[in-house]
Order: sequence, then C-alpha cells, then structure tokens
Amino acid sequence: MKFGISAAALLAASLAFSNAAKAEDTLSPLHWQSQGNFGSYDKAALQRGFLVYQTVCASCHSANALHYRDLTALGFSPDQVAAIASNVKLADGSQASMDDNFKNPFPDSQVAAKAFGGAIPPDLSTLVAAHPRGTQYIYSLLTGYQAAPSDVNVMANHYYNVAYPGNQIAMPAPLKDDMVTYADGTKATTAQEASDVAAFLTWASHPNLDARKQIGLRAVIFLIFLSVLAIANKRKIWSGVV
Amino acid sequence: MSDQTKSWLETRLPLASSMQSCIWNMKMAVEKPYLAALGSLITATLIFLTLSGFVLSLFYVAAPGAAFDSIQFISRNVDNGWLVRSFHATGATMLFAATYLVVFRTLLTGGYRAPNELTWILKLVFLGLVLIIGYFGYAMADGAVSYWSLHETTVAGARLTSFPGAISNWVFGGPAGPGTLGRVAVLHSALALLGFGVLALHLAAKRAVAPVPTKTVTLHPYYTSHHFVAFAVFALIFAVLVFFAPHWGENQLNLAAANPLVVPAVLTPPWYLLPVSAFAAASSSPLGSIFLVLAGFAVLFAAPWLDQSKGTKPGLFYKILVAVLALDVFGLCMAQADGPSMLSSILSTIFIGWYFLHFLVLSPLATAMESKK
Ligand code: HEC
Repeated sequence: MKFGISAAALLAASLAFSNAAKAEDTLSPLHWQSQGNFGSYDKAALQRGFLVYQTVCASCHSANALHYRDLTALGFSPDQVAAIASNVKLADGSQASMDDNFKNPFPDSQVAAKAFGGAIPPDLSTLVAAHPRGTQYIYSLLTGYQAAPSDVNVMANHYYNVAYPGNQIAMPAPLKDDMVTYADGTKATTAQEASDVAAFLTWASHPNLDARKQIGLRAVIFLIFLSVLAIANKRKIWSGVV
Repeated sequence: MSDQTKSWLETRLPLASSMQSCIWNMKMAVEKPYLAALGSLITATLIFLTLSGFVLSLFYVAAPGAAFDSIQFISRNVDNGWLVRSFHATGATMLFAATYLVVFRTLLTGGYRAPNELTWILKLVFLGLVLIIGYFGYAMADGAVSYWSLHETTVAGARLTSFPGAISNWVFGGPAGPGTLGRVAVLHSALALLGFGVLALHLAAKRAVAPVPTKTVTLHPYYTSHHFVAFAVFALIFAVLVFFAPHWGENQLNLAAANPLVVPAVLTPPWYLLPVSAFAAASSSPLGSIFLVLAGFAVLFAAPWLDQSKGTKPGLFYKILVAVLALDVFGLCMAQADGPSMLSSILSTIFIGWYFLHFLVLSPLATAMESKK
C-alpha cells in the first residue's frame, strides 16, 4: 500500500454516498452530465471518480493544481476531506493537510521515467482541458486496451491501446472490474470506473464549469433583454430624424 | 452636498457646463451605421483589458513554469479569478475581431483614400501594436505551445545580426531564459498604454478630415442611444464567448504546462495571430519571415497610394475583390491552423501570392477602371 490510500480514507469517501441513490445509467449511450451548454456536474459521479483516481491513478500520476480542500466542491464535508487528506502520507512521512496539493507519487520526473522505461505519467490536473474532446478521450483510453493484432509488434514495456495515438502506450491497463467498491451500490465495471474517473478529471480541469454556465445563462438572458430595450429606445429617439 | 457647494465648484471648475457644450451637445452627422461605433467599442475594450490585466498582474509570476502555475492559481484559488482571466482572454478576442473588422470595412468602403491616409495609417499602427501585445500575452501564458514559441522566436532573434538583431536583443534580452517573461510582461502592459495614445491620435486625425455634415443631430440623446445598442450587442457576443466558449480560438494544447524537454509538433498560435504566423511560416529563414511580415504590412500602408481612383466611390468590382481578399486571408489562416503539410504549404503560398497580387495589381487596376467610367 505504498501509494494507495488506507481503508479509513475509503470509508470516509464512501460515507458521502451512503444515502445517495444508485447512479443513473450514463454508459448507454455514453454521456456526461456536464456536457452541453446547460449541463452541470453529477456530484455522485465526481465522488466515484475521485475514489477511482485516489485508489488507482494517484499511485502513478500527479495532479499538482489540485488541493485536498478543493474536494469539498464534490460534495464531501470538510471532515471527510480532512480524513481523506490525513490518510495521505507525504514524502517526509507526515500527514497531508487540507491545504496541501495532491501528492506527487514520484519525487521527480526522472524517477518516474526510470519506473516506466522512459515514459513519464503526465500531470492530470489540466489534461482534459488540453486534449480535444478530453473527457471522451480519457474514457476511450481507459477502455481502449486490447490484444495487439498479430501483425503489430508491441515494444517492450508497452501495451496495445486503440485510443492512444500510435496505439502503443507505456501505461499498463489501470482499470479492471471491481477495482473499487462504490458505496452507492453502483456496479464497478471497467466502463463505469472509466466514465467516473473521466468525469472527475473533467472537474479537475474545469472546476468552475457549473458557476460559469449558471452565471452565463443569467448574463446572456439579461443582455438579450438589454439589447432589445436598447434597440427600441434608439428607434423611439430617432423616429423624428430620418 | 448642497446646491451651494455645487455652484461653488461649478464657478471654479465648470465641469458640468463644459460637458454639456463639448460632449452632450456635440454636432454629429446623421445616418452613421452601427459599425461606426467600432472605434468606441475598441477603446472600451482596451480599457476593459487594461483593468482586467491589472487584476491578473497582481497574481502573475513572470518566470518560466511559475507563470503557468500562477495562472492556474488565479483560475482555481483566487475569488472569481477564473472570470477575470476569461474576461481578459475573451477581451483580446473581441479587440482583435473589432480591429480586423475596422481594417476590412475601411478597405471595402475605400475609407483609406485621401484625405484619410493618416487615419488609415494610424489604424494599421494600432493593428500592428495589438498584434505585438497579443503575441506577448500569448507568450506570458507559458503553456505547452507558447513556451516553445517564445523559445524559438527568441533563439531565432538572437541569431540575427545588426539592426534586427539589436531590436530582438533589446526586447527579449537574448534567447529565452529566466528573465525573458519579465521583460515580455512589462512590454505587454506598456505597449497597451501606448495603444490609447494611438487611439487618441486617430480620433483627432479623423475629426480633422471628417466632411462637414449637411444634417446634424446632437450626440445626446441621438448617438448615446445609438452607441447603447452597439455596446449591448457587443456585450452580448462577449458574454456568450466568456461563459460558453472561454477558450474559443485558442490552441487547446496551450492549456497544459510546458515540458522543457518536449517540443510540440505544431506551434499553432491563437486565432488572431494566425495571419502573421502564416506570413512568417512561408519562409524558412528568420530574415525571410520578418521580410514577408513587413511586406504584408507595407502593402496595407501603401494602399492609399496604390489606389488609382480619383475621388470616385468604390464600385462593385472593387468591393468583390476586397471580399475575395477577406476569404483569401481566412483561407490562409485555416491552412496555417491546420499545421505543416505539403498541401497547406502550397495553399499558403497561393493565398499569400493572391494577397500581394490584390494590393499591387488587382486593386490598382480595378480602381483605375472604375474611375474612368
Ligand atoms: C502504473 C502506473 C499508472 C497508473 C496506475 C495509471 N497510469 Fe496513466 N500513465 C502512466 C504512464 C507511464 C503514462 C505515459 C504513457 C506514455 O507516455 O506512453 C500514462 C499516461 C496517461 C495518460 C496520457 C495519455 C496521452 O494521451 O498522453 C492519461 C490520460 C492517463 N495516463 C490517465 C490515467 C488514469 C485516468 C488513470 C487511473 C484510472 C491512470 N492513468 C493510471 C502510468 C499509469
């Protein structure tokens, strides 16, 4: 359990959904609630996604732009977040606090590169924003592992993945069925885990998406109204002139 | 404040009455289209960019790597920082859209012709200035793309000799290093202030050559209500972009931190720098790139003197040519955004060729023909 998180943290994470209903089916057809001009985050999916992230991805990837305190935005209570943070052991052996950045699993990128034959696990805090159709890409990548076709020679320490450019990735398939246990009773299939962690990473890249769309809708409605008013006003004033 | 104080102040500093006579009652020509408000919109946007940029500058750290992190900090940890950042980025898009539109409209309507040569030149100076400011702002983002763009620009600049080399050294202080972003950040804001000066000169020059209108109305309430419409619609477009497409026209890759070891395959800049980057990319040597960009600007500056019309209004054929030129530049930008390939380099060459053909041959011919009729 060098990189994983302890059972107490898992428990803390799971408390949040103990009375939440089972997840709705977002896999067929595949979609995320945050998509579209009016979509907002599904907090239950974000919490499940964080569980996957913390249990699986965090042992190889950093997310430097995030602090543990930011997790309250997913609907965790401050106590739960404090418990999650206190279960993370920092490099110097101390407990992480709410104000710490997400732990970087490797002391530096050279150590990481050594562990993966030269490849470096990228920081995940802005990956969805920086990749075209990023949310979908994370999902496709995590569910894209297949046996290589017979005519393809897979390089050493690489795995065949249909979604990855070039199809050979140094990241071993991180997910399998029942890798985590969701407290809300959602079945932890590989696809469900992939979809949830994609939702979580979308939030990591765009933490202000909900506020942005909410304010935006009001601003746009107000300005449409203002424009119509301005046009009517102008016509009235100019009616005698031209 | 009693009325007495007011008149005390007013007798010593007649602000209200001079506002009345110099601004509200100013005589303006009737029948100005809404697009005539673009000048005011550009000024307002520049003020807006200065204010939002000032807020950003309080948190920005001008050092490679730290700059990107400080922008992340602004977006994630500063109250409404994401909004201010989005205001600034979208403000830049709106400023460029308005400026390009003014240049296009002036070409289309023949608004650069005598006696408007100087207003035209000042428009182009402003365009050149915002392009430089825009590039510096893009470099300041310190993302995976702009980090390397700054690196390549400064390295190429440091290799230049004599005058161009001296300018590059003076601006960047040599190849990109720890101190480069600091210089770029200072110039980014200093040049923005210079922009106000250019706008003021432009306004004065425009007033000096404006024809005496036959029929006039007062500024208030006629042109205030007219500008109110223009501002409301402009703000509406701005809000749609800020809230529903905050990174419209930017290269997504630039939203990731730069890796000092990995050069991205393609360094596509934001949309508003595409025309310049396309001209620069058409030559493989730095001097050639500089020459092409300057030549592209030079033919614009020379437009009033290449033009052969003698006081006639632009005809249909000329207008079609200008519309084709706009499509040509649009196509050039698309080819540049598509990244380097055989096809896009052939297309770029054709588009750039047409651009020069337009100004040096087609436009003089068309205007000469139309003025004979
Ligand atoms: C065993 C360590 C390990 C684990 C666990 C792991 N990754 Fe990775 N990941 C890597 C490595 C190594 C790379 C770099 C691959 C390369 O460059 O070929 C990588 C690359 C990636 C990429 C980048 C793909 C691209 O286009 O460049 C994404 C996205 C990613 N991982 C997501 C995840 C997610 C989400 C999880 C958790 C479900 C996860 N990873 C778990 C090691 C890991």
